[in-house]
Amino acid sequence: MAIFSIARSSIARLAFLQALALAITMVAILSGVYLATARLLATESDQLIMLEAQSLKADFHDHDPDTFISAIADRAEDPWVRGAVYELRGPRGDFLAGNVVILPDLVVQHDGWVEFEVALTHGDETAARQIRAQILDLGDGFKLLVGHDVQDRQAFRAVMLRSIGWAVGAALLFGLFAGWWLGRRIARAARAISNNAAHITEGTLSERLPLTGSGDEIDGLVSRFNELLTRIESLTSTMRTVLDSTAHDLRGHLNRIRGAAQAAQHIAGEPAMRVACDTVLLEIDRLGTTLQGLLRIALAESGTAPLEEVDLSRLVAEIVEFYQPAAESHALTISIEPQLTVRGHRQLLTQAFANLLDNAIKYAPNAPIIVQLIGTDSEAIVTVADAGPGIPAEQRQLATQRFGRLPGSSGLPGSGLGLSLVAAVARLHHAALEMSDAAPGLKITLSIPRITTQAINSKR
Amino acid sequence: MKILLVEDDRRAGDYLAKGLTELGHSVEQAFDGESGLKAAATGTHDILILDRMLPQLDGLEVVRRLRAAGSTLPILILSALDEVDERIQGLRAGGDDYLVKPYHLAELVARLDALARRRADVGPVAKLTVFDLELDTRARKVMRAGRKIDLTTREFQLLEFLMRHTAQVVTRSMILEGVWDYHFDPKTNVIDVHISRLRQAIDKGHERQLLHTVRGAGYTLTEDP
Repeated sequence: MAIFSIARSSIARLAFLQALALAITMVAILSGVYLATARLLATESDQLIMLEAQSLKADFHDHDPDTFISAIADRAEDPWVRGAVYELRGPRGDFLAGNVVILPDLVVQHDGWVEFEVALTHGDETAARQIRAQILDLGDGFKLLVGHDVQDRQAFRAVMLRSIGWAVGAALLFGLFAGWWLGRRIARAARAISNNAAHITEGTLSERLPLTGSGDEIDGLVSRFNELLTRIESLTSTMRTVLDSTAHDLRGHLNRIRGAAQAAQHIAGEPAMRVACDTVLLEIDRLGTTLQGLLRIALAESGTAPLEEVDLSRLVAEIVEFYQPAAESHALTISIEPQLTVRGHRQLLTQAFANLLDNAIKYAPNAPIIVQLIGTDSEAIVTVADAGPGIPAEQRQLATQRFGRLPGSSGLPGSGLGLSLVAAVARLHHAALEMSDAAPGLKITLSIPRITTQAINSKR
Repeated sequence: MKILLVEDDRRAGDYLAKGLTELGHSVEQAFDGESGLKAAATGTHDILILDRMLPQLDGLEVVRRLRAAGSTLPILILSALDEVDERIQGLRAGGDDYLVKPYHLAELVARLDALARRRADVGPVAKLTVFDLELDTRARKVMRAGRKIDLTTREFQLLEFLMRHTAQVVTRSMILEGVWDYHFDPKTNVIDVHISRLRQAIDKGHERQLLHTVRGAGYTLTEDP
């Protein structure tokens, strides 16, 4: 679940970044285009006005004022000219000709350009138009305003801004979608990898990730990962083969030694010789037991031991019942919550609890032993506590190591594999193994993930 | 008993053959799967001891072919391959028992006896009797000299196991496997404690002791010590 939510949030982050980058790019490009186009348009229309103004100025000088006035009036009235404005004023500021009346109110800007809004009538319609105009001093007190409607420029700007808005919106949307799609693809690949890794942790090394066949980086990563798996698998199987054949070989040798020792014991004349043969046989058996212990630990640690649904309550009850007669001098307190099931390996779990009970009986003679099994929402917790000498906190780690026999235990039988097997079995079951002080004595707690009805339902 | 021993490890095979011969059995030896199968197919043996891993023909394959041919010869599989899964494979293939190397000769002999006896028994008997001890598997009742004995479920199963192998030696690991289905060696003397409890229940107050300890091997339930 954790992996899933991280993938989710990384998709969101990626999609957002993608959208943002796309939107910024869009804004930059469109703003550039807008600015360049707007400037070009402005320059062009200003130049047109200026050209007309210059030619009118020349006309004024070439003709007498009355002709000029009527020429301006004609232009102003010309129905074919759309958007052009003229206003001619005489030396006393009197209106002579034109289609707008605004001149005396205007303050001439330093470059001679003015901008204003005026109601213009064209045909039947009258509308407020934005005008850009130049005011010319024609000489002899005559002033001429030549301008043009710049509404088109305004409209262009509005259209452009609207387009930019739409484009950026679309970019954001598209970016989000692309990011989400890309993120999902990556997250799916990541999830497949992490799921597989989880499977492998549980020991199914033979699984491989599916390739998409696109040959992209994800496929590259996946095939690298698969190669890694193949390598690990072959190493593990080599290790297992070596271990198995070595164990097989050792057992063969032990068996021959055993046969020879038994034969020797049979024909031995002297009692001392028989005792020596007894010792040899005893040691061979211990060696065999140790070998078996090591192999069981290896099996548990290889993670290849098949797990099944196990009624832990019953398993614990049976093993305790099995040991009960041997624990008669121990004031055994048993409390077992019924019907707690776990996914486990029956034989290895049995062996682990047997080791714990063996230890409690062996190391804490005549001291009370408490065996408890309780269930929480997620775990089945087995506790075995004795009132014996216990294990000092600093030596507890050593106790779970192979052949980690503790100081002072040399007089007691045991291979030093008991607790390390318990630790290996705990790892196989993803269980937490905890050793604590029972004050006095040792308390061992094994918390195994439970199969709850809820877990079974969600699996279906 | 006429025993056929198929074991490719000559030295181990020779020791075993010698040990079994000394116990009064006649032993025929084969050293690979092929000749072992041929010898077993003659049908002249009482029991087959078969190594799990053999040259030419694997031990499991020998068992499979014998069973496929309809042979009911009791088979004890010997193997250096431990682990429950291996045992299960051996037994599924048609073996009757499985013993892991290195083994005690006493353990092997005890298992051989058990196998030979199982063949003689026809079906599960409801009433088992040893001297004046009676066990009724259906009524789950135990009587000694006409008096009822109360036993726990496990004690009952343990006694039934011993009575089914009466007059044979049963080893501790046979008891563990047969009664509890456990495949490990307890480091404590817990089996002995179970036995002594059972002995208390069935032998206490009776002149004739039925449950005996066989030194270095295990236990036997018999009327003649």
